[in-house]
Amino acid sequence: MSARPASPFARFALVSSALVLVALILVLPLISVFIEAFRGGVQAWFEAVSHPDAVAALKLTLWVAAIVVPVNVILGVVAGWALGKFEFPGRSLLITLIDLPFAVSPVVAGLLFILLFGRRGWFGPWLGDRGLEVIFAPTGIILATLFVTFPFVARELIPLMQSSGNEEEEAARVLGAGFFQTFFRVTLPNIKWALLYGIILCTARAVGEFGAVSVVSGHIRGQTNTLPLEVEILYNEYRTQAAFSVASLLACVALVALVVKALARKYSNERHRNDEKGVR
Amino acid sequence: MAAFAAPPPVSASAPAPPPLTLLNVSYDPTRELYQEFNAAFIRHWKKTTGQDVAIKQSHGGSGKQARSVIDGLGADVVTLALAHDIDAIASSGLIAKDWRGKLPQGSTPFTSTIVFLVRKGNPKGIRDWEALARPGLSVITPNPKTSGGARWNYLAAWGDALKKNKGDAGARALVEGIFKNVPVLDSGARGATTTFVQRGMGDVLLAWENEAILALKSPGGDRLEMVAPPVSILAEPPVAIVDRTVDKKGTRAVAEAYLRYLYSPEGQSIAAQHGYRPRTPEAAKVRAFAPVKLFTLESVFGSWEKAHAAHFADGASFDRIYQK
Amino acid sequence: MSIEVRGISKQFGTHAALDGVSILVEPGEFVALLGPSGSGKTSLLRIIAGLEQPDAGSVHFHGEDATARDAKDRKVGFVFQHYALFGRMTVFENVAFGMRVKPRANRPPESEIRRKVEELLHLVQLDWMQDRLPSELSGGQRQRVALARALAVEPRVLLLDEPFGSLDAKVRRELRSWLRRLHDEIHLTSLFVTHDQEEALQMADRVVLLHEGRIEQIGTPDEIRSRPASYFVREFLEIS
Ligand SMILES: Nc1ncnc2c1ncn2[C@@H]1O[C@H](COP(=O)(O)OP(=O)(O)OP(=O)(O)O)[C@@H](O)[C@H]1O
Ligand SMILES: [Mg+2]
Repeated sequence: MSARPASPFARFALVSSALVLVALILVLPLISVFIEAFRGGVQAWFEAVSHPDAVAALKLTLWVAAIVVPVNVILGVVAGWALGKFEFPGRSLLITLIDLPFAVSPVVAGLLFILLFGRRGWFGPWLGDRGLEVIFAPTGIILATLFVTFPFVARELIPLMQSSGNEEEEAARVLGAGFFQTFFRVTLPNIKWALLYGIILCTARAVGEFGAVSVVSGHIRGQTNTLPLEVEILYNEYRTQAAFSVASLLACVALVALVVKALARKYSNERHRNDEKGVR
Repeated sequence: MAAFAAPPPVSASAPAPPPLTLLNVSYDPTRELYQEFNAAFIRHWKKTTGQDVAIKQSHGGSGKQARSVIDGLGADVVTLALAHDIDAIASSGLIAKDWRGKLPQGSTPFTSTIVFLVRKGNPKGIRDWEALARPGLSVITPNPKTSGGARWNYLAAWGDALKKNKGDAGARALVEGIFKNVPVLDSGARGATTTFVQRGMGDVLLAWENEAILALKSPGGDRLEMVAPPVSILAEPPVAIVDRTVDKKGTRAVAEAYLRYLYSPEGQSIAAQHGYRPRTPEAAKVRAFAPVKLFTLESVFGSWEKAHAAHFADGASFDRIYQK
Repeated sequence: MSIEVRGISKQFGTHAALDGVSILVEPGEFVALLGPSGSGKTSLLRIIAGLEQPDAGSVHFHGEDATARDAKDRKVGFVFQHYALFGRMTVFENVAFGMRVKPRANRPPESEIRRKVEELLHLVQLDWMQDRLPSELSGGQRQRVALARALAVEPRVLLLDEPFGSLDAKVRRELRSWLRRLHDEIHLTSLFVTHDQEEALQMADRVVLLHEGRIEQIGTPDEIRSRPASYFVREFLEIS
């Protein structure tokens, strides 16, 4: 009974301008990626994405994601568990630290790794003596991506694990469940949608990360270029169509991520509604 | 029984040599050049030694690439825009200090210069450096603070004025006039080229000759035209072996052959095709290079360090000009 | 099976939640743990269940020292103050949980689990609700599911933490007598926490009165009513 309902005209104007804005800022660029990618026909698109350098970039990108995402899931769950379920000194400091990669510019993150593992960095000489390459090699790319994407899973889980408390886990323990049984049967079902959500965000970023990876990559074609780096290079070589063809792969990853994300949201919301309904 | 007595195959006892790979760390505009040159060298090496060699390329801003090599990027050879950048690597101990003397022509297999790219038919009638300072003209050049190429643009204009005996004051006036005509400063050469060619901004683009030739061949290039000024600066992008890497990997022989092949007839001709001015007169016939009176940076500014200190360091000439 | 705690002390920071508490609950006995809020009732129950470690003292089941044993091996039934049902499992799965997580060797077959769960749900009069989620039950129903779940592992002792704490007076009275009848049927050694003196005196065989981490008095309801041991007991029970 408080707010006066907006006039139909005002509502129409607001909604349609929001839609136009979304279309201009988000949808149009996305569509233009695909238009540019297929400008030269499907054949040209296929040639661009099956070029050995593009394939190498795709492989490297998938490798990076395949390593980074599981590691971040494990780290994120452990961090979420430790921070959400236990009280210990330094806990709030740790929560702040988890967000550090978001606060630091990716370029700086990349430089940090050069500072640590570069030839003249802290550990560089030691590694170099043993013939281990970190920087300007896939390892460095994986490390940098790991750093940049670390918060995604942990951030999704901490608030949830905090709010759900420890009761169900304790109940499981007195009923005789071991650590892993408790985790897989009780904790995981409670966090699975948030976890999925975090995994999607983490994957999307791991695949799409440019800044930090650019710093540690060394840009060796067919070897240390990820998809985003390859796109930039192609574009700089005036091979616009090829650049957008490869970019369309990235756009597809983004689209899949969006759809799965929307589904995850929907399901987790449904659960929420049910829970609330029950309480009343 | 006979089967047991047979000696094992020879190859089983002597391990196969590791596949030969070279990493050439280069600057941005040479991508297309080395793509073709590498293929040619691989054929040449196979024919003369029977060995397969794979060549990896890394491209980026010249200064950034030097920095990466210093930080551990495992280049066998560096082919950069400026002697200054190779000197930086040398002073970190990875390259012998006397690298310049190791290959012909001061280790510079080809040269380039700065030219103008204008709209088809040259509607604004731009012929020389003075024309660029005309009020109302729009000039596209990247930022000399961030782009090596842009510094050459700047120094070429400055040198042109000095060559015409206008003195430092006259040179400053010319450069000031030109930069007054720059609507936006892109951070890199490729960005500036895109601004001019693909976005259609500006009346004239200051560019490397080889970049200009490449742009003419790229989509939209048919609406452009190249203008060579009567006087311009001679750029000498040098090459060098990274001693530390080749000694560790045992690739010195092939790395040296690779760089030397740049001076061969085939290497020179490929350079010419890609718009670099070759050292040999035969290769120069591959493409007609406009007659430009070229002066070296050293002859006008002394050295790259001096030019940098006087013009591009913080608070130096460029800052004073552009802040106005 | 008896429950015995000897000289249990527990500090939280500088605050002593329990200070030298010793209690013996005889086999089959129904004992109420009574005391004002913050007196250490939940802490004691959690120590008995193994969810918390005491700073000093020991816990014995059937005369056997279980202090070092992990919560999952103590075979106690625990009914939590706020039910702690598994929100994503149906009522049936909640009750079956304790049987499903048993080591494969002594895990009952599915048919046996089903029979047992149905029997327990019948016992707590909820057999018609086995496919619901906890969120679809009323408070009293959840409480009974929590009880059935605790009983499903055939615990040696039953610990109940304010089982009726969050229920309204009428449901509370019903459940109270229902629980007492249930206990009379199955004779499980039970320790149940409450801060409602009427509840304690009415239901329990014996009452333990806790105050600021120490025992004020242990005795049958009649003893406590007729011979309160201290001014605090008198005050707390409002005996005039
Ligand atoms: N995890 C903990 N950390 C710090 N202090 C705690 C913790 N658990 C309990 N305490 C403290 O120990 C004391 C006893 O708590 P306990 O939960 O055992 O009380 P209670 O008798 O169950 O109270 P209530 O009737 O309100 O449930 C309280 O002062 C409480 O603040
Ligand atoms: Mg309590």
